[in-house]
Amino acid sequence: MDSLPLKDILFYITAIIMVAGALLTVTVRNVLHSAIALIGTFFASAVLYFLLHAEFVGVAQVMVYIGGVVVFIVLAILLTVRLGERILEAGKQRKIIAALFAAAISVFAVLLLKETNSIVQTETEDFASLAAIGERLLSPSSTGFLLPFEAISLLLLISLIGAITIAYIPKEDKHMEGK
Amino acid sequence: MTLQACLLLAFLLFSIGVYGMLTRRNAIGILISMELMLNAANINFIAFAHYKAADATAGAVFAIFAIAATACEMAIALAIAIIVYRRHGFLDVDQLTELRDPDV
Repeated sequence: MDSLPLKDILFYITAIIMVAGALLTVTVRNVLHSAIALIGTFFASAVLYFLLHAEFVGVAQVMVYIGGVVVFIVLAILLTVRLGERILEAGKQRKIIAALFAAAISVFAVLLLKETNSIVQTETEDFASLAAIGERLLSPSSTGFLLPFEAISLLLLISLIGAITIAYIPKEDKHMEGK
Repeated sequence: MTLQACLLLAFLLFSIGVYGMLTRRNAIGILISMELMLNAANINFIAFAHYKAADATAGAVFAIFAIAATACEMAIALAIAIIVYRRHGFLDVDQLTELRDPDV
């Protein structure tokens, strides 16, 4: 238990970075800047997964979110934003209503948290090592996840084909491009 | 660092995501806010798996499936955003009203 303070300090630093990154993500005016702030939030949550001993999930977070999703978002922004375009912003009234709604959700969540005080906490350490996850994912037994694993690979393939089909321009529609 | 602290952090991230989703007018901005909310859900999965789980590995596997599903959903959503931009020349959700019932 003597390593607890260091872990606590690390947790609070990560939490502050995460919340600050998230706030930046939703408040900066430029969407490209918001995507870059999102990288900070994702990286901090990867650190949090490491602190929670879920190493594989942390690595997957960095690879899939930062290496994949954010790059994809940045590319989509570059494809859809024109230089010198007026940045669209919501009105003040909508911002106030949204802030009140978000605050209401937070308050409700904090009230719910009181219910969790009675939960007995045990700290599982080695639950998400590469070996443990790999065995569970590919085990055909009733506790394994072989069928969902195959299903998610099919889902990935379908969404890949779907994304290409949606974004593909047929030859006769080429004039749409310059619009 | 307790279960409550992790859950509080996840709830905060979720409500920040809700705020972003309601205030952004750019469709990609809304998708970014949605990513924040999905990330909060994943933090919940991992926090419960670490602190309170009969089968912690299943919790981690669930988070991995959630990450994979998010990647699929982002691919489709951004493809739709790109095709909408090609058709209309803008991504302002306030102006994209083709599917809205005109009587409402």
